[in-house]
Amino acid sequence: MSNQSKKKQNAYSVGARKKAFPWIVPFASVRLTLTLLSFSMILIFVATLEQVRIGIRGAQAEYFESFYGIWYYPEQFWGGSFLSMVPLPIPGGYLLGGLLIINLIAAFITRFQWSGKKMGIQIIHLGIILLLIGQMTTQAIQVESRMQINKGESSDYIERFHGVELAITDVTDANRSKVVSIPEQLLTPGNTLRVPGFPFKVRVQSFGPNCNFDFKESADQRSEITRGVNQGIGASANLSLTPMDEDFSNDAANFGYLVFQLINGSEEMGTWLAVAHPAGNDRWKFIHAKLEGMSFQPLRHQGKLWGMELRSIREYLPYSIELVKIENEFYQGTDIPHNFESHVNLNLESGQKRKALVYMNTPLRHRGKTFYQYQMNKAADYTVFQVIRNPSWLVPYIACILLSVGLLWQFSFHLIYFLRKQSKVSG
Amino acid sequence: MKFLKKYPLIPSALFAFGLYLAILPFGTTKASLLDFFKPEPAPKEEVIDLEAFSRIPVLRGGRVKPLDSVARNTLLVLRNKRSALDQNGTMIPAISWLAHVLLNPEEADKLKTFVIDHDQVLGLLNRKLAKDGKYYSYNELKPFLKEIDESARESGKLEREKQDSFDQNIIDLYRSVLLYRKLKHTLSPPAPPPETKMIEDLDLNTFFFDSDKDKDRTDEYSRFRSITKAISQDPSTIRIGSDEFGRVVFLLDHYSRSNLWSEFFPVPPETGDQKKRWRKVGESLVGEEPLDSDQKRNLDPAQFASLLQDLIRTDRVPLQEKVNFILTKEKLNPTALFAAQYAEAIKLRTEVDPILPLYEKLRKAYVRNDPSGFNDAVSSIRRLCEQRAPDQVTKLGFEKTFNAYEPFYRCSVAYIIIFLSACLSWLCLAINTAKFNANHSKSFKNVAYHLTLIILIAHTFGLLGRMYIEGRPPVTNLYSSALFIGWGAVLLCWFTEKYLRLGIASSMGAMVGFGSLVIAHNLSLDSSLNPTGDTMEMMRAVLDSNFWLATHVVTVTIGYSTTFLAGFLGLAYIFYYFIHQVLVSDTSDNKLSSLLSSSRKQLEKTLGSMIFGITCFSLFFSLVGTVLGGIWADQSWGRFWGWDAKENGALLIVIWNAIILHARWAGIAKIRGIACLAIFGNVVTAWSWFGTNMLGVGLHSYGFMDKAFNPLMSFIVSQMVFIGVAYLVTPLRSLFRKKQPAAK
Repeated sequence: MSNQSKKKQNAYSVGARKKAFPWIVPFASVRLTLTLLSFSMILIFVATLEQVRIGIRGAQAEYFESFYGIWYYPEQFWGGSFLSMVPLPIPGGYLLGGLLIINLIAAFITRFQWSGKKMGIQIIHLGIILLLIGQMTTQAIQVESRMQINKGESSDYIERFHGVELAITDVTDANRSKVVSIPEQLLTPGNTLRVPGFPFKVRVQSFGPNCNFDFKESADQRSEITRGVNQGIGASANLSLTPMDEDFSNDAANFGYLVFQLINGSEEMGTWLAVAHPAGNDRWKFIHAKLEGMSFQPLRHQGKLWGMELRSIREYLPYSIELVKIENEFYQGTDIPHNFESHVNLNLESGQKRKALVYMNTPLRHRGKTFYQYQMNKAADYTVFQVIRNPSWLVPYIACILLSVGLLWQFSFHLIYFLRKQSKVSG
Repeated sequence: MKFLKKYPLIPSALFAFGLYLAILPFGTTKASLLDFFKPEPAPKEEVIDLEAFSRIPVLRGGRVKPLDSVARNTLLVLRNKRSALDQNGTMIPAISWLAHVLLNPEEADKLKTFVIDHDQVLGLLNRKLAKDGKYYSYNELKPFLKEIDESARESGKLEREKQDSFDQNIIDLYRSVLLYRKLKHTLSPPAPPPETKMIEDLDLNTFFFDSDKDKDRTDEYSRFRSITKAISQDPSTIRIGSDEFGRVVFLLDHYSRSNLWSEFFPVPPETGDQKKRWRKVGESLVGEEPLDSDQKRNLDPAQFASLLQDLIRTDRVPLQEKVNFILTKEKLNPTALFAAQYAEAIKLRTEVDPILPLYEKLRKAYVRNDPSGFNDAVSSIRRLCEQRAPDQVTKLGFEKTFNAYEPFYRCSVAYIIIFLSACLSWLCLAINTAKFNANHSKSFKNVAYHLTLIILIAHTFGLLGRMYIEGRPPVTNLYSSALFIGWGAVLLCWFTEKYLRLGIASSMGAMVGFGSLVIAHNLSLDSSLNPTGDTMEMMRAVLDSNFWLATHVVTVTIGYSTTFLAGFLGLAYIFYYFIHQVLVSDTSDNKLSSLLSSSRKQLEKTLGSMIFGITCFSLFFSLVGTVLGGIWADQSWGRFWGWDAKENGALLIVIWNAIILHARWAGIAKIRGIACLAIFGNVVTAWSWFGTNMLGVGLHSYGFMDKAFNPLMSFIVSQMVFIGVAYLVTPLRSLFRKKQPAAK
């Protein structure tokens, strides 16, 4: 304090700012920073380990996109037989990220010197704040979907990787079908739902994100959940299913299921079973011919025809993408892929047609969505794009520029100082 | 005399030895740096010229390379060495081993080619490690092939995590035997089993190569060509049940299957081939199979015969178009696809490729030990390859010399010498007599410093050589990341030593350099990481971007390298601190302890600022590298950050470096604390470098390996021991010191 009083008191000096905001000072402490960073190390390490057990998406949901996660020491590790019984709370991404942002902002206000010499430090930390905010908003609003196109065909919708919906399509008019869909949030057992433009009420009996299914010889051999099903494919194929937990791993195949009743006024019309194929309901026929109808369970009433299906949540696009050609090359004499590429036409709303090439490291960007080459089947001639909408994609780029500028500024300061000192010493 | 004073004997000798290691040939490393600037040696005439033979280009693992590389790489898989043994266990060059295997397989079967060092696997073969050694020939394995095959199959059924060391070793042995057999049959397709009834029925008894009657295998190939010619002139014989057609089907099947028994592609691209495909011997005769052979069961025989007949009736030019059409448009129709292959084999491939008779000539000359015939054949083969693939053979001479120069082996030996010089410099300081004093210490330090520069140049040359051969940035896989980490650390140490001539940076740089090269060598031996034995493998599509490899991967790897360096400097400090605490006490009064005490302040300050400076570098590079990785991920996968295991590993390094720097800036950690934090940085980096790959999850898990688990764990434990020592030595010492007077 004494040497500060010697200096000319400036309204923007650290001391003045500390005085102005005494309650912020504890939040700006370096010890808090160090504690938070150490907890981040634990969080990241644990969440990386947990990816083995619950997959990348699972770990993300449990640890990074939450305020805290509960971790059990893995049983197969050394001493795991009894250590694994202790639940350990791990501070989550939102908690640590939020606190770090507070810590940094507080440091900006009461700790950082606002001078040219320390400018680098400020820019770096501004970049880090942006990175943190950018990542947290991305996690909150980024949507990942997929688009599958067969060769020679075009597609105008994308499907979510996770989450299903009950779609009821009115196909009475063969030229114009009308779709109403019920998102899975509403499909809680016991709920009775009215669907606009559909004369019946839907009563949800049971719903789950994933299941195992098999065929039984007679109706009463079916499992508890499906025993009441007396209409549609579930009844004709004697399908029996057992619920399973949702699989969050990368190569997960979650078969969401829904058992529902249709009610006409007060009269029950029957119970249906619908199961969603994770790769699209048109894949059912490859599992078994009996299941082909899963993509369209018909319902006729007073001269009208509806089709019902449970499917991955769909989003329709105002444009469509047509697959012209795919290429999948390997280095000769190896099984190392050399190139995957899809030649597509982008058919715009205006009727304009654009050619595009989607391959590794080169996605197609259109209207805020980015289409990446994700999977490809050369023999069956289809391609799958991963489609991502991330409105905050620019934030990390700005943060990166800030970081680089700040780092260069600060370290060149240090290096020049060091070299000068050394040349003085040796000289 | 003045010269000797200025350059004392031992340091000069060390320097000369280091220089020698960097440039000249030694031991099995036959090439010198000068060889790169010499033209290819003139062809020899009176002896079999294996030097010229080793430069024959072939395609293996997606890349055109000289036979020399094939020899060294396959031996690395089979024998874990890049050289071979003859039947008595005497070392022979890799290329003469390969010449035996390719051209005189019966002799090759006697050479000690396979390494088996697992007790249980040896038990399977009724052998003992202590008595019979660990190198075995194919002939010695032959009686046990069935057992090896069965055990390997059993082990292969287990999931990878459940396999124990026996399982992995027996699978490796099985793969080695397979690789060896494929190599043997690459130039000479195996004949079908003679007792096959089909051969009898189709009257093919005299068709296959018979060394008594035939000049060489080209006679067999010509016979095949005359059979296909006959059928293409009379397409009406193409029907189910005809002998002519049956023969063609049988032989086509036979040659197609022989492609499975081929380890590399010896036949250069045919003139006019747009895709510049190299071919196997069988492929050169009958073309490539469009689908897996098993799919032949799914084709409709009658339809197949009639379609083939139609195709054969077509003229050559329209036939080529039709074949191309089928191959691109009818991918789900095995009948059409195989008919297209057959049509190509019967009508479009009418000649025996001229390279096949040349290879036959080569074989006969080799077996007869006829130098002029052998050397003629070699030069004809090489000329033909140059004509047919002029742009693919330009780097072969360089690669051949590069193989023989073995830059990284040299460097690893030289790093030991640097480390030794640095240690000797401190020893001189500690002894401090007329013979060994501060002056000597200084000259040892200078030797270490100058040698570091020279070896750094050799190491750089090695990296540049790989970059030139591959046409890629320096880091493309785990192996090359190890080479690069060592290089980066040594470079930084050389700079540090330039300003602070203490020997510390030199010695730690040498340690990191040596360690990383040893790790690289072990990575090259890992059969799951490096199944072909070639460390310059092709890049998978997603990584196939030189821009990002050059920016993101290189920066992140420099980040690893500097973090390790800071950690090793931390180790150096703790080592010093330990000695100081043990030797120096208030009462003791020897030279060493006074030296240690007097230098303490200065040393702590310098080491502290070295660790600090290098950690700054680490933070810079790891942060920039991680962020660049994010941008790459945004470009290619659509998300800046996906919490992928390897990404998280890099983030851990960034955060850890930030922790070290903040702890120092805030004055929370002093020199000992900083040193220990830096040592823990080693643990974090090792985890990020290897640990994340062991999880087998995520997008970066292209380098999965579990053999490194135990070394990784021991490394981590050793680092923790150092940290423990740093904090326990003082309390323990006072405990110990208190007890001593009591005992007296």
